[in-house]
Amino acid sequence: MTRLAFHKSLYAGKAVDEAVKLFATHATCELSETEAAWVVQLSAPDARKELRVARELGNFALGLTVQSRQEAA
Amino acid sequence: MNHTITTQLSNGTATFSVDPSLYPLDALYGAAYIFIDRCFVFLDKDEAGRVVVSLSPKKGPADEPTLQSWAGEFGNELLSCAWRHQISAQNRQVLEQVTSLALAGAMGPPSLDDLSNFDFSSQPLEDPLGIAMSWEEKYKKKTPAAAAGTPAVAAPEAVKP
Repeated sequence: MTRLAFHKSLYAGKAVDEAVKLFATHATCELSETEAAWVVQLSAPDARKELRVARELGNFALGLTVQSRQEAA
Repeated sequence: MNHTITTQLSNGTATFSVDPSLYPLDALYGAAYIFIDRCFVFLDKDEAGRVVVSLSPKKGPADEPTLQSWAGEFGNELLSCAWRHQISAQNRQVLEQVTSLALAGAMGPPSLDDLSNFDFSSQPLEDPLGIAMSWEEKYKKKTPAAAAGTPAVAAPEAVKP
């Protein structure tokens, strides 16, 4: 299982949600929240695929966060 | 790199921290966005409040020089984005004025109602020197009655050859 913690001051919660929805078909994702971060726990049958999906999800969440900030500005 | 950006290479990933007091968050996002198509970018914050950037290769493992060059390029992009951010902040007022003028121009000519409600009685501007006088007013032919009040200028005699 791979755990991704997206810091709340760096990632938009909506962006993380969208990214999780997109990659839900490739891995089992569980969303939770701590005081400082949005936490996504990923699990896939193949460890290499799990790491790849986790990294792609991180990229996607970051891209959506940047785009949402640009639209807000 | 030293001081504000320190690079660590481990497990094929370049990790470095950035001082957010030196680089604005928008600049950090701008630099990260440029690297998204080249590698996996992940941002985090450490206990000191510094932003930790991790760059991992998308296609296969990357060697140490490649990771070092990515970290260096990221630092350059970060500086470039920070500089652009500062310039855009300085020119924001000018850009807003130009945009508002362009939008006002795009609204088109005034309607008939606007023209009928226009107050022509008010003086548009003060013109004590008569600079704003129209050509017709300035050079129109004087009537004989008007000309009688002012001394006529004698016409020059024709010069005999």
